[in-house]
Amino acid sequence: MAQILVVDDSSTVRNEVGDFLKANGLLVTTAVDGKDGLDKLKADPSIKLVVSDVNMPNMDGLTMAEKIRNEHKNSTVGIIMLTTENSPAMKERGKAAGIKGWIVKPFNGPAVIATLQKLVN
Amino acid sequence: MNSDKQIVSKVLVLDDASAHFDSMKAFYEECGLIGIRPQQTGVASVMSILKSNVDLGGIMLYENFGGKAGQGLELAREIHESRPELPIFLRRDAVASVAGLSEKDAGMFRCAYTLADLQQLRATLDSSIFSRVYPNDLVRGITEFTRTSLESLFANCDIDIETPYLVKDRIIYGEVFTMISIESNWCRGYMMFQASEDAVLDLVRRAAGSGGETWTFRELNNVLGELTNLVWGSFKNRYVGHNDSQAGQNQTQVPIIINHRSGYISFGSEDPQLCFKYVLRERNTPDAAPVPIYQRFVFNLNWSPEAFKENPTVESLVDSGELELF
Repeated sequence: MAQILVVDDSSTVRNEVGDFLKANGLLVTTAVDGKDGLDKLKADPSIKLVVSDVNMPNMDGLTMAEKIRNEHKNSTVGIIMLTTENSPAMKERGKAAGIKGWIVKPFNGPAVIATLQKLVN
Repeated sequence: MNSDKQIVSKVLVLDDASAHFDSMKAFYEECGLIGIRPQQTGVASVMSILKSNVDLGGIMLYENFGGKAGQGLELAREIHESRPELPIFLRRDAVASVAGLSEKDAGMFRCAYTLADLQQLRATLDSSIFSRVYPNDLVRGITEFTRTSLESLFANCDIDIETPYLVKDRIIYGEVFTMISIESNWCRGYMMFQASEDAVLDLVRRAAGSGGETWTFRELNNVLGELTNLVWGSFKNRYVGHNDSQAGQNQTQVPIIINHRSGYISFGSEDPQLCFKYVLRERNTPDAAPVPIYQRFVFNLNWSPEAFKENPTVESLVDSGELELF
């Protein structure tokens, strides 16, 4: 079964999103910021999808995505941002980094899960 | 704030005691208010005005407006439900207080006064009519997206919003306090949430069920931190231009002073804080005490409401919470 990495500095969001994905039959790993996310992704090749916040301490989500694509040369993992940010400039930066999608918080699980399952499968 | 400008505000006058009209009109003018009166006194007519006038600063309501005892109170309930951001000032015949009203009804009014003493009304007008300083669209928008954020984090609660108000004191409510900076081309300052630790922690523990029994203040911090993050993001998306050039520039800053013993915070200015009080009521636990959460804005570094504007709605943007695929 595909593994999903949820990256967010808020444990409230990690729990909410993680619990929801688990309840929908997905395996979930969590990370507390972009740096931790990179480490977790590197250590676990079964991770097929990353759901990440943008604004986080130590390393933000967009920088993490750019490093996944450019430094780690990982072009197969799907990356989706889950964030309060909604600026076109940030989305453009995300697209350039190969991000697959953008969700503006608050998280609406039922609206997202079907699409996530398609991406994972 | 903006003390160099002559700012007036429109108030809807729902008071049919014509004998006092001239003196009240003079009083309104002294206070910088423009009173407008409905052509008809029925609820439908008043609500129609409220729908068409989105830039009112407040409501001046007589308790027996319409000619029947208690009719004004019924109208107040309708108004408060429809436009909770509008402060209502209640004129009473006998007592200059909300004595005799239920707690919920009393919470609808910014103050109660009699014609014999207008000093309390004058003082309350000065502190309550936010549209003299803050655009109504801003105040309305803040309550809308904060309610949405609260509902997403406290799904087991109904959220009541009391009338927004201005304060100049610097006292911090409760023990838990979050703060985040707000930066744009038209405003700079901070947004805060303040709450009582025990009350909110009990609430989130009950919402979490058996797993929440061991939760501590750290879990509470996370919930209020996420609330702050959600509201900050909504504020940016709605009111901060995507091309605003503030980020990265050398911006002025002033020290923020916090005195824990006195529960006091100073932002280095005398500016009033724009305040909102949200009351969380657990839907399935009616005996549980309502939990207030206070939201405060202080735009101490820049305030240029003449440049305020709401970002246009972009048709292509998907609804909040849904996945936009690239």
